[in-house]
Amino acid sequence: MKIILTTTSPSIDSNLDSRFGRGVYFLVVDPDTLEWQAHPNPGAGAQGGAGTLAAQFVANQHAEAVISGDFGPNAYGALQAAGVAMYLFGASTTVREAIERFKAGQLERVGAPTGQGHPPRV
Amino acid sequence: MKQLVILSGKGGTGKTSVAAAFAHLACEGPSPLRAVLADADVDAANLELVLHPQRLETHDFTGGSVAVIDPERCQGCEVCEQVCHFDAILPPSPQSGSAAGGEGYAVDPIACDGCAACVYQCPEQAIRMEPQIAGCWYHSESRFGMLFHANLYPAQENSGKLVTLVKQNARLCALDGDYPIIIVDGPPGIGCPVISAAAGASLALIVAEPTVAGIHDLERVLQTTIHFRIPALVVINKADIYPQGVVEIEAVCAELDVELIGQIPFDPTVTEAMLNGEPVTAYRAESPSSQALIAIWQIVSAWLVSPGEPHA
Repeated sequence: MKIILTTTSPSIDSNLDSRFGRGVYFLVVDPDTLEWQAHPNPGAGAQGGAGTLAAQFVANQHAEAVISGDFGPNAYGALQAAGVAMYLFGASTTVREAIERFKAGQLERVGAPTGQGHPPRV
Repeated sequence: MKQLVILSGKGGTGKTSVAAAFAHLACEGPSPLRAVLADADVDAANLELVLHPQRLETHDFTGGSVAVIDPERCQGCEVCEQVCHFDAILPPSPQSGSAAGGEGYAVDPIACDGCAACVYQCPEQAIRMEPQIAGCWYHSESRFGMLFHANLYPAQENSGKLVTLVKQNARLCALDGDYPIIIVDGPPGIGCPVISAAAGASLALIVAEPTVAGIHDLERVLQTTIHFRIPALVVINKADIYPQGVVEIEAVCAELDVELIGQIPFDPTVTEAMLNGEPVTAYRAESPSSQALIAIWQIVSAWLVSPGEPHA
């Protein structure tokens, strides 16, 4: 099984990044073996469309679930279409905590965008 | 590792004076806390004026892209000029060819917004987008610890992206060196660079000013931190210049359920310290403003060590 978390540094010992589209890293983790790989989020520095770019990356990884602090409307729509389950890490602050809670079924599954998008830059 | 960001909404309320004092107090105060420093006000970076850093590394910052026309391929068909909404296409002048000195059209890189409409529409495929060097960022060693700062070139955009870069490098330095905190001197306003500066912060300290504009902008910046779910504390700078304003700030804080943790009196020592290139707490520790800042730092540093507990 493969899950993806948004993190602030490229390590299993990292803190979580609450942003999906502009989170700094994606940590791809097998929650059972804790084998992991870190990838820079292609959306982090994008001028626009960060949520969609990030969702594209997650979809290409064929992960079953993604854990972050928020999912905006564009990211939500793209991840939903790709069939990736979205979870909020809630009170967790580290990757390890979030994985434990995910395995225990304690993370809230997201059924709608958790924040508003912002209008395009004019 | 915790991130403290200092914000204000309105400019000129004393963010950098507070940040400089905190840098000094974190390093040499009664309860030291090793800190990495970041100046996230990349449009007008000035924390270095009081920290006197030695630059260790200088890196280019690549901002947005602008269109560039290949003069060899341009046939002068005008399509680019017609599709450009920013009047950024310079036609060839009759005397001397194009403004760029060639035969065809050229792009004014300052007017170009980077939308790439001309790239898609050019029938000769003569136009490409080129990333621009929009500034520099620096890793420096200051007398109060490592400093990450930057310089955005005039008329360049994308300051939020540069703030992200500065903060990311500060964060990696803090992780490598096992530093417990990063102190981020934020930009004014509530726009893109402020959101970048506040992203991932454990705590925002808002430096408010008891003036009409100061109170208005305090409300806006608090709405911003609330939107991004960043815990915030407020201090009032130059608190005694307008007592009615202090009452109004207290009301704003009560209404938004934000703790007001201190008041810094108006004190000419702050200006004197600035003219001498010193944080006020290092310049004259017994001055009224320094005493207030020392008390505020104790509350803020205690909050960073154990978040959420009432300290005021």
